[in-house]
Amino acid sequence: MICAGIDAGSRTIKVVLMDAASRRILAKDITDQGLDQGQLASALLDKALHKSGLKKQDVASITATGYGRYAVDIADTTITEITCHGVGVHHLVPNAMTVVDIGGQDSKLLRLDEEGKVRDFVMNDRCAAGTGRFLEIVAKRLEVELESLGKMAAKSKKPSPISSMCVVFAETEIVGLLASGASRDDIAAGVQASIASRIAGMAGRSVAPPIVFTGGVALVPEMKNALQSKLGHDVTISPDPQMTGALGAAILAARKLEKESK
Amino acid sequence: MKYLPKQISLEEWDMQYDELHKAGLQEPAYGGRLSRHVEDRDYRLLKLRYDNSAAALRLWNFLLTEEDRLQKARDDGKKLVGAMKDLGTVPVMAYSFDNMTAFYPDGAWWIPCVMELNAGLLEIADSLGIDESFCPVRAMLGAFATGAHFPIPDFLVCSVGATCDDFSAIAQRLNGMGHPIFWWEIPHRRHPERNEENILLPGGFTAPKCQLDFVKSELERVKAALSDIAGMEINNEKLSSGIKKANQVRQYLSELRYLVFTAELCPLPALEMLIAEMLALHFCSDRDETIEVLKYLLEEVKTRIKAGHGFFRADAAKIFWVNPVADLQVMNLLEDCGGKICGTEYLFAHALDMIPENIPPLDALAQMALADPMAGSTIDRAQRICNDIVKYGSEAVLISRIPGASHCAIEGEIISQVVRDNFDIPVLEIEVPPVTDAMRPTIQTRLEALVETVKARPRNINNK
Repeated sequence: MICAGIDAGSRTIKVVLMDAASRRILAKDITDQGLDQGQLASALLDKALHKSGLKKQDVASITATGYGRYAVDIADTTITEITCHGVGVHHLVPNAMTVVDIGGQDSKLLRLDEEGKVRDFVMNDRCAAGTGRFLEIVAKRLEVELESLGKMAAKSKKPSPISSMCVVFAETEIVGLLASGASRDDIAAGVQASIASRIAGMAGRSVAPPIVFTGGVALVPEMKNALQSKLGHDVTISPDPQMTGALGAAILAARKLEKESK
Repeated sequence: MKYLPKQISLEEWDMQYDELHKAGLQEPAYGGRLSRHVEDRDYRLLKLRYDNSAAALRLWNFLLTEEDRLQKARDDGKKLVGAMKDLGTVPVMAYSFDNMTAFYPDGAWWIPCVMELNAGLLEIADSLGIDESFCPVRAMLGAFATGAHFPIPDFLVCSVGATCDDFSAIAQRLNGMGHPIFWWEIPHRRHPERNEENILLPGGFTAPKCQLDFVKSELERVKAALSDIAGMEINNEKLSSGIKKANQVRQYLSELRYLVFTAELCPLPALEMLIAEMLALHFCSDRDETIEVLKYLLEEVKTRIKAGHGFFRADAAKIFWVNPVADLQVMNLLEDCGGKICGTEYLFAHALDMIPENIPPLDALAQMALADPMAGSTIDRAQRICNDIVKYGSEAVLISRIPGASHCAIEGEIISQVVRDNFDIPVLEIEVPPVTDAMRPTIQTRLEALVETVKARPRNINNK
């Protein structure tokens, strides 16, 4: 039987098609988020099905996750992204004990048990500081592509200090830093350090390694190093970090099928 | 029990009310349809879901008619005392006077929620320099400025010292607006040093006797001031009688809490439990009626438990809730997400403990005041929460921050850590502003994730 996981995140929608029995990924895809999330998710699923030579009626179960999960009306189950990221990461990195997920709109830190179940979690809830949105704003302010920020940060010798409490104030700080002649590389590195500080603050005093980094921001070069520096532990980027939520959703859809067939 | 337990809307309550009325429902003078309170622009009521019992109807009507009671008390020549910050000590004293009614002006912090920000109280506070960086209790300033939500009290009394910084600032602003306040000091409760006499307080905390003596002397001053306002002295016999009545309220609440938090099927939803617990603070301006309201509610709960009736699924995640919420709708949301309330610490756990009756009344009240969880360290408070987690078998802790409240900035991490050190259960912090409509999806995700986390673990759902 085939199952699907759809992660309707704040910036993108992701889909993973999976063979329920073998847990083999048959197809995956991603598209930008938009106004009609339900339609976008459905079209994305169609695209993934087409790629793998399958039809909609082949899909026995669909689990939706992400902030837009309730808009995905083709799904038969909704599960939060916290649970899905935990399951997805455990599938890819079975010994992971901590998951750092930095998405476009929020960031979260999950503590897992040995079976990959979420023991506890924290999420940011005050500001876009500590999220991918911060990087987008900074890229625009520095007039560079988002992808370039990491490369610039890698060249920095002395990251600029930037507050981690509020993106709007941080943007004002960046204007001031530019006016005072700070290099764009140092600002880019400062922003990454600021995001990493925010995550470390959320983590509190006890972060159990191995730590796995997921979410779209994990794709930004140097973010991993910034996190390692603030968390004081090695950090591993999850394979295909943007897809872990959808992968977890697909696995949970498969588990649901198994449970129903018993 | 005519109706099976169910949460219903305000509209559904109106229909049920007609049926109950036809069937001979007996109500107190403040009874009536719940929807009539919307005429006072309490629009949030339209969005809440209510317990469908006649006992819950009485509870809601009692809560929503407090202003009428205060006005009547004034018309009857009673002295009105606004007991601020103090949660459950001064009202016990005030109600010991025959001609005095105490209330809780701080309760105005719920007006922005209930009126969905239409009262303009927060804007008035803004204009007075108390902006949203302060606790929503700043709405109290607007309520005093407009005089629209409660009669201006004859006497205002407020505790200071080991109290919230932002609350003290708000109260001082109120004082500066021409509402003089009688201040009494509550010291930061500390552990006794070597060679100091140690007193065990209700609730299990300890304090040195010298602190207790100091608080007693402060309460002597409060008593004298209340006597001046009342125009009469009060003796120990009267105070003891007031303590007995307060203990009746606490006894009912204690029983209600235990039954609701440990029942296999939840016999009373979180929202009605929150309101019931709040009655301990100041008796909603009628101590005797509070006893009747709680007695009726307790009977309903016992009947439901006996019949095996209740709300939600038996496998609902059992959540211990810390701090009251500014938006009442969030209590409904917890249940929508698959949780049920199983233990609470709404900042006034001491007001639910029995006041000692075997010692002089002012000593007993001083002990209660010093046992306030907010007067000591957050670690002490967290330990008390841990004790209750064991007592009720809670499976997760939810700490709801009140935006701007100075205690919330630091307590969450401490409580989380102490709970995690003692139990392997998830702890979640959320922030709840007075109206959460725009934030509902994010709060909902967190609550759902907490419930999923609980349900993914090995569980003993009959754990008591």
